[in-house]
Order: sequence, then C-alpha cells, then structure tokens
Amino acid sequence: MALREDITSYARERGIHAQAVKRWLVLGEGDQRALLDLSRGLRLGGNHFNDFLDWCVEISLRDGCSIAAIIEGKELAPTLSDSRMGRNDRLKHAKEALRRLRYPRLTRIEDEVRGRLRNLKLDPRIRITVAPGLEGGLTVELQAGSVEALARLAREVESLAGNDAARKVFALMEGKEVADVPA
Amino acid sequence: MQTYRPDRVVVESGSEDSVIFDNLRSALPDVPFVTVPDPQRYWAERDGAADPISRGKRDLLLMRHKGRFLKACPGSDGQVCCNYFIINFASNCPMDCSYCYLQDYLAENPALKVFGNVDDLLAETRDLLAKHRGFLFRIGTGEITDSLALEPLIGFAAATVPFFAEQPNVLLELKTKSNHVESLLGLDPKERVVVSWSMNPQAVIDADEGLTASLEERLDAAWRCQQAGYKLGFHFDPMVEYPGWEEDYRDLLHRIFTRLDHRRTAWTSMGVLRTTPSLKRVMRQRFPATRILSGEQVPCPDGKMRYFQPLRVAMYRKMRQWIRESAPLVPIYLCMETREVWDQVFGYFPSCGKELGNELVGAEPRV
Repeated sequence: MALREDITSYARERGIHAQAVKRWLVLGEGDQRALLDLSRGLRLGGNHFNDFLDWCVEISLRDGCSIAAIIEGKELAPTLSDSRMGRNDRLKHAKEALRRLRYPRLTRIEDEVRGRLRNLKLDPRIRITVAPGLEGGLTVELQAGSVEALARLAREVESLAGNDAARKVFALMEGKEVADVPA
Repeated sequence: MQTYRPDRVVVESGSEDSVIFDNLRSALPDVPFVTVPDPQRYWAERDGAADPISRGKRDLLLMRHKGRFLKACPGSDGQVCCNYFIINFASNCPMDCSYCYLQDYLAENPALKVFGNVDDLLAETRDLLAKHRGFLFRIGTGEITDSLALEPLIGFAAATVPFFAEQPNVLLELKTKSNHVESLLGLDPKERVVVSWSMNPQAVIDADEGLTASLEERLDAAWRCQQAGYKLGFHFDPMVEYPGWEEDYRDLLHRIFTRLDHRRTAWTSMGVLRTTPSLKRVMRQRFPATRILSGEQVPCPDGKMRYFQPLRVAMYRKMRQWIRESAPLVPIYLCMETREVWDQVFGYFPSCGKELGNELVGAEPRV
C-alpha cells in the first residue's frame, strides 16, 4: 500500500501521465520499486519517464527478465550511482545506456558508421551526418567560401565513391553488413 | 478456423431488403436481430466496456453506406505508391491481430459494420470503370476489413465476383487471413479476381494473429482457389523480425511455392511491421504480453515506426532472394517504403505509382 502511495504521489508531483501510472502499477512489486528508485534518482518527468518505462518493458519482454534486473544490471547501475555526475549528466548517460540495451544492433551500427566516417579524415569543411535511426542515408554538407573551394571539396567528396572505407560505410547503411557488425 | 458469430445483429431500418440481410438471416438463425433507425447510435448507447475495440467485434451492424464506396488507397506520406483502389464494403474486422492498425484508425468508430447497399457499390464501380476503359484498375476490398472473414455470413464476395469477372479493365483483389473461400469455388473469375493471403510463419500467427486461420488452413484455401481458377497473391506484411525469423520465413516460402503454382501468382508484396505511437498505446493495453513491440523499430519521416533501415533492407533482400529461388517470375513489390529503400532492395524504383501499378497488372516483372 505504501509503495502504491509513493508511486502515485511521485507521479502527481512530477506530472507523470495517468496512463503511464496505470502501467506502472500493474508491474510486479519489485519492478514498481526499482522504477520508483530510478525515477526519484533521476527526477524523471513525464516524457523521460515514458521512455524509460517503454524501453524497460520492451527489453523485459524481449529478454524474459524483470525490469528490476535491467535497472540493477551492469549497464545501468554504475551510472545511476555515480556521485561524480550531476543529475543532467546521469540522466543523459543512463538514457543512452538504456537505449543501447533497447536497440543493440542499431547502436552498434551507428557507432561503426560514425567511426568509419571519422577515419575517412575528410576536410573539416565537409560534414557527413547520420540521421537518427539511420533512416534515409547520409547527409553531406560542404562549407565553401569560393568557387575554387567548392570545386576542391566537391572533388574530395566525389573521390569517396572509389574509396573502400566509404564503400564500407554505405554497405552498412544499405544493410549489407548488418550481420557482420560485432556484438 | 472458427466462423465468427456475433452476439447480435443490429439492422438499419430499410436494409432488410438487401442480399446481405437475407444471407445473415440464413447463416445466423439463432442470433437475435434488432432493427433500429440508427444502428451506430443504438450500438454506442448500449453497454459500455473498458475495451471498445473488443466490444466493437461482439455485435454486427448492417447499415447503408452513405458516402462513396470506392477510394484511392491513401498510402503513406513520401512512400512509393502502387496506384491501388479500395472498396469499403465493411468496416472493422472480427479477427484480432495484435498489430492491426484498425485498432487505432477506427478507435472512435470501432463497431463492426457491413454495408447492405451492394447495388449502389456495384453501380458506382461500373460508372468508374466505364469512364476509364483505357486504365486497368486494381481494386481491393481488404483495407479496413478482411475481405473474406465475414463471407460465410454475408456472401458479399459471392454476390460481387460475377460482376467483376465481366469487367474488361479491373483486377479485384480479395485479401484475407481466413480460409473462408467456399462461396468462391463455384464461380468463374475469368482472370479478373485475385484471392490473396497475408502470410506469416505459424509462430507469428500463434503469437499475434488472433482468431485467424492457421498457416496450413491458409495454404489449403489458396490451393482450392487456384484449382477453381483464381489467381493468387501473397502479402508478407507485416514481416516480423525475431530470433529464428530467417528459418521460419524461408520455410514459409518453401511451403507456399511447393504447394502452389507460382505461375498463377499475380503478385507478392513485402512490408515490415509498422506502428505509430498511438497504435502502440492501444497495443500495450490490449496485448500487454506481445513481444512484437520489442523489435528495433524507429520513427520514420512519415510518422510510422519501422525496423531501422539497414535491418529492414537486409530482411527484404533475403526475402526477395528466397522468393526468387522458388518463384522466379512472380512480381514483388514493397508496401509503404521509400524510393531509397526500393533502390537498395531491387536496384531500381518505380518512377510513379502508375508505373508500378501497370507492372503488377501484367507487364513483365523485373527480377
């Protein structure tokens, strides 16, 4: 009873949506408690709480483990208890750690693509970015102050088509190496 | 699979003279029929329930459709369209798939309805086809309902297939997850009717396609339709990714094309599981134990969530290869995907919906 009151009181205080509270309260007691401790520790408001709840539930269903085990696991717990970080940093790191658990292959491929792009060592005025979720390919931006500079940068970009490292980036983006990205 | 049986049939006054009413009466002699001026209102004012989607499936409403029956398929923003038209002869579905978009799309209007004014539907279709004789239409009835799930009760397909069979410029697609094909078998489709199945491995059917026919039942029904002269279609949509999906989908394709003649298959389509934030909310309430939401799905620019692009492109490529191994000439298209994804999967993309539509109705398929 006390746990239920603690949860509803926290939810009221932090503006957690009623639907989310309902989902929270149907979890097992250990999971309810673990989520409450996490929420208090990170002072989660409505939107962040929804992300944590959704991801924890989805991981739990996928892996057949409890939400408490996820929160107390080695990927998340060290961040939650790291007293050197302020609340905002702990929230950012905890969310990223949970995202990595929730989207293991996506985050590995994102890391691999970004690493390979860095290794291309392009002119700093050529900026290649990856869309969130790797949706829609790469965006290439050139920053040129003259026609000559533009031509030079364009030639460098064009040369990527014949570059093995660049080809590997696109192979990843096109799903050709999804299975090969190391765990 | 079991035939759906409503608790009650609510009939709009004036709909008693329709063929659908006669069929319902014959098929459901023990079910109470209530005739009222406004079935929708009558239904809404009756007993409430925590889950309106489930409640919507308990009664069957027979009423007149007041707007247009025929519409262009809305597709999805920014995605390659296949120039498809839809006829809404009913609204909502007696089956209960966890991922069904109707749970969200019809959330404000979830009553299971069938429309009795079939003559109006046929007149509207006849006019449209006559106005555009140079265009070969693909028309489907499985957009906001299942084309055949109610067939043993209403006989809609049996009443309309003879009409479509006589039209020179249409292919009618009856898309289903049922095995209710009995009423079609004695009719001559004259190459104008495609009966198609939404196909998934039995593991997905068991977990997420409630009240639908088993894989074996779907295969058996497809075989019977093929024997009766119908062209077939197969929609691998939604494709679901889970540990072991590759073996299961490969086996699924093997089972389809060893049993059925791929040369009589009009088309196949592929599309991965798609959800929206609002659909996910409904799914979590109605199917809290489903694992289908635990895949690596991300928001896409059209507002739908799909497996992240490299993953789904890899899935499509594999499926395409497996389809080609068994059915080298069957046209394959992607449902609700961008030109970029098309290009990554097939090495080309259709320039417009018309081009893709034309390909599907008869031009040489691309390999």
